[in-house]
Amino acid sequence: MQTIIKMFNTDKWVLPYLRRYKKLLALVIFLGFMTVFCGTALMFVSGYLISRSAQHPSNILLVYVPIVLTRAFGIGRPVFRYVERLTSHNWVLRLVSDLRKKLYLQVEQRATTIRQEKQTGDVLALLADDIQHIENLYLKTIFPVVIGWLLYLSFTIFVGYFNWAFGLLMVLLFGVITILLPLISVALNGARSFKNRQLQHEVYVSLTDGVLGLTDWVIAGRQAEFVEKQTVLMQQQVKIQRQDMQFTWWRDFILNLIVAGITFVMLYFGKVQFGDSFFNVNYIAAFTLAIFPMIDAFQGISAGLTEIPTHQASLERMNSYDDLTVTAPQTATVDQAKVLDFKEIIFEDVTFHYPNQEQSVLSHINLKIDRKGTYALLGPSGAGKSTMLQLLLGDLQPTSGHFKIDGYDLETLQEYRHDLFGVLDQQPYLFNTSIMNNVRLGNLTATDDDVKAAIAAVGLRELVEKLPDGYNTVMTEGGQRFSGGERQRFALARILLQDAPIIILDEPTVSLDPITENEVLTTIFKLLADKTIIWVTHHLTGINFANQVYFLDNGNFTMSGSPQALYAHNQHFKQLLDLDTGMIN
Amino acid sequence: MIDRRLFTMPGIRKTLGMLAVLITLQAFSVLFQGKYLSMSIVTLWQQKPFVAVLQTFGFFLVAFVCRHLLTVLKNYVVGHWVEKTVTTLRHDVLKQVGALGPKIIQEKGTGNTVTLALEGIDKAQTYLMLVLIKMFDMMIIPWILLAYLFTVSWPEATFMLAIYPVVIIFMIILGYAAQAKADKEYANFIRLSNHFVDALRGLPTLKQLGLSRRYATNIHRVSEDYRKSVLSTLKIAILSTFTLDFFTTLSIAIVAVFLGFSLIDGTKALLPALTMLVLAPEYFLPLRNFANDYHDTLDGKNALGDVLDLLSRPTLIDNQQLKLEQWNTESHLTLDNVTIAYNDNDEPTLTIEHLALQGYQKVGIIGRSGSGKSTLLNLLGGFLAPTNNEKQKIMLNKQPVEHLQLQAWQKQFQYIPQTPYIFHATLAENVAFYAPDASEEAIILALEAAGLATFWQNLPNGLATLIGEGGQAVSGGQAQRIALARAFLTPERRVLLFDEPTAHLDIETEMNIKKAIIPLFENHLVLFATHRLHWVKQMDYVLVIEDGKIVEQGTPDELASRGGAFVRLVADVNQLGGVK
Repeated sequence: MQTIIKMFNTDKWVLPYLRRYKKLLALVIFLGFMTVFCGTALMFVSGYLISRSAQHPSNILLVYVPIVLTRAFGIGRPVFRYVERLTSHNWVLRLVSDLRKKLYLQVEQRATTIRQEKQTGDVLALLADDIQHIENLYLKTIFPVVIGWLLYLSFTIFVGYFNWAFGLLMVLLFGVITILLPLISVALNGARSFKNRQLQHEVYVSLTDGVLGLTDWVIAGRQAEFVEKQTVLMQQQVKIQRQDMQFTWWRDFILNLIVAGITFVMLYFGKVQFGDSFFNVNYIAAFTLAIFPMIDAFQGISAGLTEIPTHQASLERMNSYDDLTVTAPQTATVDQAKVLDFKEIIFEDVTFHYPNQEQSVLSHINLKIDRKGTYALLGPSGAGKSTMLQLLLGDLQPTSGHFKIDGYDLETLQEYRHDLFGVLDQQPYLFNTSIMNNVRLGNLTATDDDVKAAIAAVGLRELVEKLPDGYNTVMTEGGQRFSGGERQRFALARILLQDAPIIILDEPTVSLDPITENEVLTTIFKLLADKTIIWVTHHLTGINFANQVYFLDNGNFTMSGSPQALYAHNQHFKQLLDLDTGMIN
Repeated sequence: MIDRRLFTMPGIRKTLGMLAVLITLQAFSVLFQGKYLSMSIVTLWQQKPFVAVLQTFGFFLVAFVCRHLLTVLKNYVVGHWVEKTVTTLRHDVLKQVGALGPKIIQEKGTGNTVTLALEGIDKAQTYLMLVLIKMFDMMIIPWILLAYLFTVSWPEATFMLAIYPVVIIFMIILGYAAQAKADKEYANFIRLSNHFVDALRGLPTLKQLGLSRRYATNIHRVSEDYRKSVLSTLKIAILSTFTLDFFTTLSIAIVAVFLGFSLIDGTKALLPALTMLVLAPEYFLPLRNFANDYHDTLDGKNALGDVLDLLSRPTLIDNQQLKLEQWNTESHLTLDNVTIAYNDNDEPTLTIEHLALQGYQKVGIIGRSGSGKSTLLNLLGGFLAPTNNEKQKIMLNKQPVEHLQLQAWQKQFQYIPQTPYIFHATLAENVAFYAPDASEEAIILALEAAGLATFWQNLPNGLATLIGEGGQAVSGGQAQRIALARAFLTPERRVLLFDEPTAHLDIETEMNIKKAIIPLFENHLVLFATHRLHWVKQMDYVLVIEDGKIVEQGTPDELASRGGAFVRLVADVNQLGGVK
């Protein structure tokens, strides 16, 4: 219980919204209350009406008010209910949209490292599950509980108005249903629900991992094990769910036993309070019949409160995303045009190592990049090439040393990052939308013709136009329907549309065949002739396009110079180039 | 409202039979409960002493307890069946996904498949739990009560009977409208979950394009679209509940007023009138309960439909009789007139007129990107089925087969793709994926052979380090080497399918790894798709693929002397590079 209170105190996903939308919340609760009130009042008035009529009143006008009220409550209940349900759903779903966006933004702040920190499945679970739980937290817990308690309060006060002793007895009996039983429920069932939520989450993560690696399961002939692995977790879940359901059934049974007690007390109250007067006996039926519609509302309290531990797990996970928040670096006051018109970028004695590792990925790197130069960065995988780019882009901060653009610290220019840099990396992602939309992501203001021109420039026009839906063909998840080379070229088209002064090519042609690779490189360097290009490559095809070549190994430059000079004077370089080009003799 | 396939599920008839008995008993409990409660009230109304009420109240109590006990029993009966059914369904879905293989993921999306297997089945479970009890309640309880009410007071009972079909008709009309909407909503839900995963996976790319912040708006918009579609469904779905609520509550009000009039006239006594009033809500209750969960059940029904559809998809039949001995020098695989298309009606993406593979051949598959190299490997790996055609003939060791999705065949090979998937598991588990029983020594040897000796020794927990998503980051090159290590660990798999395995490796590493791969070729049938033509030296047979066709095949020497596609390709490559 204490953990629940503590969680609500530090929560950033529910309470702020409750406060923000106070008025709407009050409206939803009012409507909900009126629904139950009308239902209860209908039975109350009907009971009175019938009893009074049975006394053969001399004039029909004597029962006229109850007749009108009966109709009013009869119509009121469904109307209030309809409006209440629409209002509450609308409100909750609106909130969920906000939450989804919030979650996305949380994740976005750590875009480059998120893949290591949270598994894709983890995030998926959060979306499909946790956010839906927040939805239920409102619809099935907060609203029904508040409404139920309000009703409890009103009814006991109403009875207490006639007879305070019975009022007190009602406080106790209804209290068992609305407070005691739910609390016992939470205590007994809480741990179980919590465990269930955790299991559900594990199942999600495990199944996503399994599905992503399905090819391997199939070839390994381990399909049965794949099924088995998921089933073990799921079986645990089934068992917990079974206990959970059985508990609920019996709890509701006990609740109904108490209802029987309440009915008895109510009859007795009727007898004591109204039983001796000819006119008042009519209230006996009224009070007794009113109990049953109310019980329905109270049942929601138990069910709602029992679910709190379930929501707790989701809330905790959602809140844990807040801890990921990174602090934005300070921003320098520089004119955008001036930044984009830079003259040089300088790496000053840059060293980097990951916090949890001893070895430096880069040590004391110095490099000067001139405007409109083309720099090739080579080295075996793991040499630090990608790290160098991440540093340059501001995704990582150097452990020591600086990056400067015309004397400005690059870290302070993050807001211009996307105006400065265009990136084409090893695995550009293609979204599950049309080809047109995918390419247009490079520049949202590009016209259809611009997009088509870019696609033509990367040599994909024929392919796209041959597709049945042409440019409107939807790329399947991750662009799976196209080959690796085609995917890369679509991404290149995107970069061509994004007109940034510095282009970072991070092994963009790894999956292309040599001929296409050369064609694409020719296209890149032709179309981007007036850009500054930093080109990470792991083999030497097209090395001629570079003005300067730097070899990186173990965090240091081991060779550098123009390709021509290196070929003439450096034996190692010559050997590599010969390997890469002259393989068939 | 109910999927017919529901009634073909095992054990359903017995469950429904028991349910019917319990519900009939319950209907009588409800009846007596109402009757004795009314009697109690009337007794007090007649100003009799409280003791006079105790006996009737006792009867009420018995009926009341029976009624709620029966509810619990009903839940047990149905719950047991639902649990069994859902467990089976879940198991079958996973099995089906395994049987359909990577193709289904490509078609439905990862998020979608996971959502279906978990969320979808959860929804189906809720649906089954709700729908059976509520439907049977509706079919039995009102009629027993009504029969009794006719004996109490026929005019009101007639009114209640007459109003029932009116309510139902409204519900059906609105139900149809809501159904169409709910289908759309479910599609939206699926789209939404895929959209979000898509966005998260593509986040680095979005960030590079400077769109990641702005994309949040997109997320919000898609989510809002979903809200709107849910609301428009709800407006109708709840409207049908509203109609019900409206008619039933109003009926109770009307009955009360009717009764009031006949009481004033003196044509009726209080007891029958009160009994009528008490039982009227009970008469409508099952219908209302059913309608209240209508929206939930629509979702669940769609989900169940999706699950059943997935299960009824034809899987390629694995030929269990097929006996394959370990691939050896005598083994062969021939394909004649085989075509593959991504969809049955599309142009074939690959056509093979004739291809014969034999013994420990080393077959290089070369061609430009998108020419069909990967498709050929997918066919040989059994991930894609050939398009049905009569002339097709695939022979595996003299045995005709329809396709290659055969366990016996898949056990023979290792597949090394462009981007191997690294499981969220320890390094050892990842390497030993194809040989779970491998010893630590064997794993270490495999890692060394793949050039990962320094890598694993530098890991914080060595072989036991968690890698993959959420664990220690693994570079593209390292992932590729882990895949190679998997192959080194399973020498008994005598066929090797390589799909541009060194595409992500730098030239120096490729040279190093090549030294390790070449010994692996020995005593293996090798199919090696690559752009790096230096591999051709290690091959004794080459397929040149252009535009989805094998345009040339033969030994490298033959092809070199023929002056065809191969020679052109080599010339094109040699023309590149070099320092001018």
